[in-house]
Amino acid sequence: MSNNVSYWTLFKNGVFGENPVFRLALSLCPAVAVTSGVKNGFLMGVAVLFVMTMTNVTVSLLRNFINPKVRIPSYVFITATWVTVIDQVMSAYQRAVYKEMGLYIMLIVAFAIILSRAEMFASKNKLLPSFVDGVGMGAGFLLALMLLGVFREFLGKGSLWNIHILPVKPLLIMIMPTGGFFAMGLMMGWLNWIDRKFFGGAGGGGGGHH
Amino acid sequence: MKDTMKITLPLVTIFVAAGIVMSGTYKYTYPVRYQAEKKEKEEALKEMAPDATDPIKPAGTWTINNKPYEFYRATASEQPVAYIASTAGKGYSSFIQMLVSLSPDMKIRDVKVLDLNETPGLGDQILEKSFLDQFKGKSLSQIVLVKGETKENIQAVSGATYSSRGVTNGVKDAVQLLVDKYGAGLKTAIQEVTK
Repeated sequence: MSNNVSYWTLFKNGVFGENPVFRLALSLCPAVAVTSGVKNGFLMGVAVLFVMTMTNVTVSLLRNFINPKVRIPSYVFITATWVTVIDQVMSAYQRAVYKEMGLYIMLIVAFAIILSRAEMFASKNKLLPSFVDGVGMGAGFLLALMLLGVFREFLGKGSLWNIHILPVKPLLIMIMPTGGFFAMGLMMGWLNWIDRKFFGGAGGGGGGHH
Repeated sequence: MKDTMKITLPLVTIFVAAGIVMSGTYKYTYPVRYQAEKKEKEEALKEMAPDATDPIKPAGTWTINNKPYEFYRATASEQPVAYIASTAGKGYSSFIQMLVSLSPDMKIRDVKVLDLNETPGLGDQILEKSFLDQFKGKSLSQIVLVKGETKENIQAVSGATYSSRGVTNGVKDAVQLLVDKYGAGLKTAIQEVTK
């Protein structure tokens, strides 16, 4: 990306234009698996935001050193290193948070969105744009997971962030894995509709990787 | 040959560097984590028997699902106030890890769930106080899971039958173990006093 694209545009691109879940349709597997509640979605989103930013920065720094023929193992290994470091540090110094998040952190190694950002962006761009792209994409992922979490937890459990709001559970199926697919499809369609109606976009989404 | 080196060398360098970073992190975080885990375990045990004044020490190990679990004797001025066992029961999608404490008359004082991985919103309802508090004051023969209302036994959480069964079985095994280990000693002690 050339220098005349501002960092703000780059950040917005990650959150809206190329939202990892709703637009790029990447990493749908965790997006369905952990969004049975807002809190889970938030914790997973924050963990991804961290790892994505760190991986993007490292890949960008090493982009001239990594041989293109073996770039994928290199990227995966960089991701794995950061995930391990975060896991270890958190389990030692942030026990309370680790108890909630520990389950998700190790899964991040295999996320398509992280590898794809390393391949598509960080390996071709300088340090600062890669950093901003990592933060933007991470924030977009976090936002998407929280949206799905709000939708599913409110309908499935009648609560938000484990605080009961409705006295009943309107649609229990929403917190089951099946409901995850429903929520994902509805949300994607709804956002595309908004985009077309109010912003003149062509809509997106599709493809899809786990 | 030259090409091979060009590919291999950077890759090896990255792997070695990553290895050094990871082992370095491990070296510096391990002692902190070890201390934190030890302290957490002590605090959890302390919660099971708040009236114990002496440090709670392991009295032995037993096995569930081929994994070792510890049991403890909690004492105040060397008089037993509680017997505690760490235990586990197979729920719907995980082994539910628990601590169970018994008073010296072999009735349940407290049940604490340490770790589980049950279905969110369904299986994890067993964490609610209304379910776990049912165990308090019950003796071995009363620990039977039933569906529907009960005062004598344990009522399963509707929608979480498997998870409820996991907790109940884990608790029952632990109580059985502690009664076998300490219940007999208790009876003879009472008999001696009444004599």
